[in-house]
Amino acid sequence: MNHDIIDFSLQTGVINYLIILSITLAVVLGLCLVLSFLKMGPKGIGRVFQNLGNAAKDLASTSCGRIWAIASLTTKETIRKRVLLVLVIFGLLFMFAGWFLGDSNERADLQVKVHISFVLTVISWMTLILSVLIACWGLPGDIKAKSIHTVVTKPVRRHEIVMGRIGGYIFTLTVILLLMGSVSYIWTTRAVSEEAQSELICRVPHYGKLDFSGQFGGRVAEPEQKKVNVGDIWDFRSYIEGGTLARTWWSFEGINVSKLRQQEAMSIEYNFEAFRAHKGDLESRLRCQMTLINPESGLRAPLRPFEVVEYSNRSADKTVLIPETFTYREEGTGAEKSVNLFDDLITADGRFEVEVKCLDPGQFLGMARPDLFIRMPDKTFFSGFAKAIFGIWLLMCLVIIFSVTASTFTKGPVATLLVVGLLMVGATGLRELMVQLIQGTADGGGPLEASVRMWTHMAPTVKLDPTLFNRIMMGSDQVIIALLSAASYIIPPLETFNMSSYVANGFDVPWSATLLPSLCIVIGYIIPALLLAYFAMRLREMEAK
Amino acid sequence: MSQEAVISIRNLSKVYRDFWGRKKVNAVKSLSLDVHKGEIFGLLGPNGSGKTTTMKMLLGLLFPTSGEINVLGKPAHDVEKNERIGYLPEESYLYKFLNAEETLDFYGQLFNMSAKERKERRDQLIEKVGIQHARRRQLKEYSKGMTRRIGLAQALINNPDLVLLDEPTSGLDPLGTKDMKDLILDLRDQGKTVVMCSHLLADVQDVCDRIAILYQGELKVLGRVDELIQAKDQTQIISSELSDDCLSEVKQVIEKHNGTIHSADKPQNTLEELFLSTVQTSIERPGRRMVMEEPSQSTDQTSESENTNE
Repeated sequence: MNHDIIDFSLQTGVINYLIILSITLAVVLGLCLVLSFLKMGPKGIGRVFQNLGNAAKDLASTSCGRIWAIASLTTKETIRKRVLLVLVIFGLLFMFAGWFLGDSNERADLQVKVHISFVLTVISWMTLILSVLIACWGLPGDIKAKSIHTVVTKPVRRHEIVMGRIGGYIFTLTVILLLMGSVSYIWTTRAVSEEAQSELICRVPHYGKLDFSGQFGGRVAEPEQKKVNVGDIWDFRSYIEGGTLARTWWSFEGINVSKLRQQEAMSIEYNFEAFRAHKGDLESRLRCQMTLINPESGLRAPLRPFEVVEYSNRSADKTVLIPETFTYREEGTGAEKSVNLFDDLITADGRFEVEVKCLDPGQFLGMARPDLFIRMPDKTFFSGFAKAIFGIWLLMCLVIIFSVTASTFTKGPVATLLVVGLLMVGATGLRELMVQLIQGTADGGGPLEASVRMWTHMAPTVKLDPTLFNRIMMGSDQVIIALLSAASYIIPPLETFNMSSYVANGFDVPWSATLLPSLCIVIGYIIPALLLAYFAMRLREMEAK
Repeated sequence: MSQEAVISIRNLSKVYRDFWGRKKVNAVKSLSLDVHKGEIFGLLGPNGSGKTTTMKMLLGLLFPTSGEINVLGKPAHDVEKNERIGYLPEESYLYKFLNAEETLDFYGQLFNMSAKERKERRDQLIEKVGIQHARRRQLKEYSKGMTRRIGLAQALINNPDLVLLDEPTSGLDPLGTKDMKDLILDLRDQGKTVVMCSHLLADVQDVCDRIAILYQGELKVLGRVDELIQAKDQTQIISSELSDDCLSEVKQVIEKHNGTIHSADKPQNTLEELFLSTVQTSIERPGRRMVMEEPSQSTDQTSESENTNE
């Protein structure tokens, strides 16, 4: 699971998308004009604009009836080619999966995680493989069998064929996905042992902003300087030292108080990591204390200190339940006071703060932004599961769009390789490596430099001599990196579509961090894919070659 | 017969190139011809003569290397022309997993026909091509003859003005061939224009008004079938009630013996003979061309001409 909270701004996304799309279209148009001019002279320029005019005319003549006809044909084709047999394979997998997953973990929380991860992984792999196989081979098969001749000699526009094909495949695979999803949901809720049933939850976290202070206190706007690293290579968490003035503050905004009032309490869930600088008391856990703060009035209500539960994924073990009204001992005076959580500690516009300190001197408590959140009323497990299926559906749509587009200008095997390649780069660490290369954060330089280092057994941190060869090599690397940089804008970040980790960890799939960006990616790729597919179909001769 | 040109081809050439853009074959060379409204036009030629390439260029399936094609007043690449065209491909490349009803319904949908209209037209065509007994069978179970019939039905789904038929009678039994020929003649009677490619010359002779014979991509013969197959240097007398003795004295003897002359005109060869002699001549004298008419001229003004460009 990606541990960081992903902030997504729709407006920025759309603006960036439009800029990239405009630049890409301008580059492609420029290339077309130059190539046509070189091939046909000034007449070629006219031909390019004539084709653009024809495209606009074809677009204006789009008929939903024809798209529907081709989509229906595609659906019948896939069903009659016995694509539904995949459900048998799916069924067989689930019949035997119980043997291996049933008692694989005695811990309830892990059992749930294993089951859900298995189910969603199987569904997404089966759907994606099927999508690539049927969508990459459909249109080339049609062209090879020349059945397409009877279609393109009717008043069918080429983009209608592409849209119909995409629609047909999406419909068929949606039916398959829904069937697999339904069976999986029932199977998961029944296969998980009784004690683990309580872990089939869908928590809705409300995250805040995190500030640190150093051991001498002083909350500052630049927390980076106040963070303590205890030597972990993974610098996701920062640490505060116990028994000092080191604190962390989570500032929440826009809390929906009316929702919390319904449950007459508020749950705060934490996931801190303890780091022991000395043995201390081996029998007990690290202790820490939370103080609730009204950022407007400055009212502070310290809660009772508690022991940090480290080695459990059960959310119940790590939840601090705060009733609507509770008593606390005032700092300094020690006087017992009563406070209403919603009226006195949360401001009218929904702002609220939590301060955390470690009480054991010499020990450290590690925290990151997602490690403490207000747990809003839970949603049903079904809703989280359905969202994960929706995520798979979105990825499936994207794969089908890519596959059909690729099949308009290549044969089935080449289209399959193209899409699989794109999936591998987009969904695996390759894209991350690409970004590291572009940003220059990858050790060992660009591809050529790295190859030479591997060949000569040279460590990636050793500086290269500024010889002519090395300079040429590094210059060439810069060209490759520039090309990679351009490609990185085109290759979709497919990891965004992976929503199964949220559900497996008992979280709701967030709309703004995952669902919305995924939806935007799919919509964003439809336009260029359709343009590419239209011109590929329009400018090619419909003969199998 | 009206002389409105439904298809107009001018200086059409098609060069097939390999992956590197090198010239592989010159499939069609500077072809010019017109097809007039309401006629049955036959496109003949041996294998590799360029007739299927020409037909595919008419349909926009292939792009010409040079030259112009106008079909129903629109360029060949214009999709709008397809509203009024019906096409029967050589092998009836239909979707084998559909049955006859589904097939016609699908193609009807591509013309944005309403469900009611599609049903009416579907039933009408299934009856017309005689496959009522197999209307719900998947096409993969059809014989070749039945596939040709459903192929023709799909070509006629939109009641087209121009019908392009690629080998319409191939694979049909004699009865099926006769039905197909009757259907083609019926289409002409309805005022439709038919263009057909065929190797079965007897069938072409039976139904075509005009033909063009192509050889190695070049137009060799163009004209009316009846004029092209007329043997101009011979006279044929058809008579009855003649004894063997009278044959040597021809006309005077027939009159002397009170015989009746029914006709005395030029006899006709078969189209097959014309075709074979054209191919033979083309091999022996590659530049020779015998075109009975020029594309811009009307059929009424047809004049025999020999164009020798050796």
